[in-house]
Amino acid sequence: MLSALNQTRHIHVSSPVSLKEIVVKEEDNIITVEGKYIKSPREALLVKPEHGECNSCSLCALNLNLKHTDVLVLSQFVRSDGCMLPKRVTGLCARQQKRVKWLVAMAQKSGLMPNLAPSWSKRDPKARYRSKKYNRYFDESTLPV
Amino acid sequence: MSAVGRVQQWATFGRMWYLFDAKWQNPFHSADKIKDILTGTHKPIYHDLNDCGDHVVVINSSEIALPGVEWEKRVYFHHTGYAKGASWTLAWQLHHKDPTMILRKTVYSKLSKNLLRRGRMEKLHIFPDDKIPDSILENVSAQLRQMRPIPKRLDHYTREEVEKFPKVFDWPKDYIIK
Repeated sequence: MLSALNQTRHIHVSSPVSLKEIVVKEEDNIITVEGKYIKSPREALLVKPEHGECNSCSLCALNLNLKHTDVLVLSQFVRSDGCMLPKRVTGLCARQQKRVKWLVAMAQKSGLMPNLAPSWSKRDPKARYRSKKYNRYFDESTLPV
Repeated sequence: MSAVGRVQQWATFGRMWYLFDAKWQNPFHSADKIKDILTGTHKPIYHDLNDCGDHVVVINSSEIALPGVEWEKRVYFHHTGYAKGASWTLAWQLHHKDPTMILRKTVYSKLSKNLLRRGRMEKLHIFPDDKIPDSILENVSAQLRQMRPIPKRLDHYTREEVEKFPKVFDWPKDYIIK
């Protein structure tokens, strides 16, 4: 859990998790070692809803007309292997979570997010099996939510 | 006749060659547009007995996009005329055999069913990719507008564009990013 940011360990055996950094302080012969949470890289880029703070989820507050081609938004809800993040992580309401789940599935079937895929994936939509290698698009109005 | 009037006369009865890029386009919607130009109904001088259709050059027909599950559900029927001669080909199978066939068959079925149909089809030139013979390309003087925007893939954005794009939510404090 603790990342070695005191510049001693440069080679990682496992993938580094930059969740906390170790801060070492020395005051009056007392050495304090503290694990501090690192600032999230997303914090500065967060979008503020127009009408200030509200209780609704982040997507409801923004009132976006999300399409399955908006991969820059949809990829925020997806892990690096293409799996959808759970609701407790995304913080969406049930309705929006379901909608984003379907939009992500549409984008993946259209081959628009080939770099977010399992490690064994060929990552080339043209190399997929049979009918899956051809271009397809979806109509968002067919979604039940 | 004045010089201007003579040029207007030429322009009215001259044949135009239009270029259409079928990349990520629905062939059934595109065919509606192409059909109008092949028959010449977009012209004020159109008449049933008037041969005033224009040429259409379609490129990238192998990259057409079908909506939803139409690649698997759309079926093309053929009958040889003999007993047990019926065959059903799925859209993706037809596209695999000949990437120009879906667009050609769609335009053919949308044209009016009369003796002019074959002649109008001769004005349609479809190419699976963007390689056109020079003899055809030198005639092209106009372009048809695409009906759907071409979506951009996530891996075609630069790393900086993806990282700097505004974010909708922040991860929980103790969430380990995978």
